[in-house]
Amino acid sequence: MSIVVDSVSKRFGGFVALDDVSLEVRDGSLTALLGPSGGGKSTLLRVIAGLELPDEGSVNIGGEDATRTPPQRRNVGFVFQHYAAFKHMTVSKNVAFGLTIRRRPREEIDARVQELLELVHLDGFAHRYPSQLSGGQRQRMALARALAVQPRVLLLDEPFGALDATVRKELREWLRRLHDEVHVTTVFVTHDQEEAMEVAEQIVVLNHGRIEQMGSPRDLYERPANDFVMHFVGPVAELAGHPIRPHDMDILTEPVAGAVEAMIERVAHLGFEVRVDLTLGDGERTWAQITRAQADELELAPGTIVWLRAISDATTRPAIASGA
Amino acid sequence: MPLNTIFGVLCALAIVRQRFRGRALLNAMVDLPFAVSPVVVGLALLLVYGRRDGWVGEWLAERGIQVIFSTPGMILATMFVSLPFVVREVIPVLREIGTEQEQAAATLGAGRFQTFFRVTLPAIRWGVAYGVVLTTARALGEFGAVSVVSGKISGRTETATLFVENRFQRFDLTGAYAASVVLALLALATLLAMNLAGPKKEAL
Repeated sequence: MSIVVDSVSKRFGGFVALDDVSLEVRDGSLTALLGPSGGGKSTLLRVIAGLELPDEGSVNIGGEDATRTPPQRRNVGFVFQHYAAFKHMTVSKNVAFGLTIRRRPREEIDARVQELLELVHLDGFAHRYPSQLSGGQRQRMALARALAVQPRVLLLDEPFGALDATVRKELREWLRRLHDEVHVTTVFVTHDQEEAMEVAEQIVVLNHGRIEQMGSPRDLYERPANDFVMHFVGPVAELAGHPIRPHDMDILTEPVAGAVEAMIERVAHLGFEVRVDLTLGDGERTWAQITRAQADELELAPGTIVWLRAISDATTRPAIASGA
Repeated sequence: MPLNTIFGVLCALAIVRQRFRGRALLNAMVDLPFAVSPVVVGLALLLVYGRRDGWVGEWLAERGIQVIFSTPGMILATMFVSLPFVVREVIPVLREIGTEQEQAAATLGAGRFQTFFRVTLPAIRWGVAYGVVLTTARALGEFGAVSVVSGKISGRTETATLFVENRFQRFDLTGAYAASVVLALLALATLLAMNLAGPKKEAL
């Protein structure tokens, strides 16, 4: 189901968590709310779920106005950062919770739970308690619990935030594949731009309770609407006072019109990419990202004088704002 | 005791989960029985429910309800004195489990009562159990308040502690010691039972 958020504002005392936010999430899409902590992304998600009431504005889910609908009747699946597992219930009871509440027949519940546990690869764990599971397993259980009631939309609040880096990467890919299988409209909150870029089809960048930009990962990276988005979604270096992506720089061994002279400070080989730290004529420092092949060809070494110039289709800002 | 459990849990829920005026006051009031001497509590009850010159005692007496010098008075006295135990045990547990589980239950379609009975209550059950045990222990040992309101009618409104005092006053040391031992064993048994039945693996 589609989600339409229209001019929503929310204040907590004097703190403005959401300031006139409007956005649209297409049916069946996978959207990330990206931004620094305190930017309003979790609040927005909780407003969609009905866990917070907006001070102003409306929320529409699947064509129905849901602004005043309590969470119980919104039929949304919600996954919390810290799992919110029911600790006194086994894994299968946790997953069955929504169906038990709905008084579904026993056989139907058992079948559905079995199906879901297989989907999240926990079929051997039905009778364990949450405390006997790892973080990643608990989160998969929480996901199965949310999906059990066939929600109209699935909302995930920093779902991988409490997990360690390896498990995060694994679950990320897994969520992507799960979405291809289940096709439920999904919105997830993250502060990790890499996570948003890798998983989402659409990214909404939130900062200070406002939407900075909305668009595909590529749009955001290549055509950021402003400095904030440019800095938040990717690496930024400075060249002659302008922000630039460090891989959008040409390093030349001969002076060319429009190029800036610089001295190489350090060349760091990071596998495929090579990071070059440079000092410009006026003492300003910058860095460039090039491939290993390029670095070998240029024979870069500390102390060498080179010339820098932005490549012709370099990402700049402000560019044509997309989506926002 | 069952009354105390229900009331205590409600009190704790109100203090932790709700935001209302007078919340701090209620929080402070809960500790009042700890601070006030039980004898004073007994006298206060006498003042309110006393048959001849109590505030509501006369009205109740006309309708055939006797509070002072009978069981209702003793229950009131014991309840008041042991009220804080359940509340004080449940509050930290409620704070610790937080609201996420309850919110998760809500998004899964559970109403207020379903959430309370299926999620909140099981999560705080050890806190409640501990509070109940302490309440029981306190109720068994209560002396001051009960001694004022009971009237010490032997065989009817005489609690075990009152019995001990009575015997002791009459130089019946054997009787006093015997009853004391029973009381002490009961107290030990309740505390022991609680530790044995304490939280197991799942309640991490």
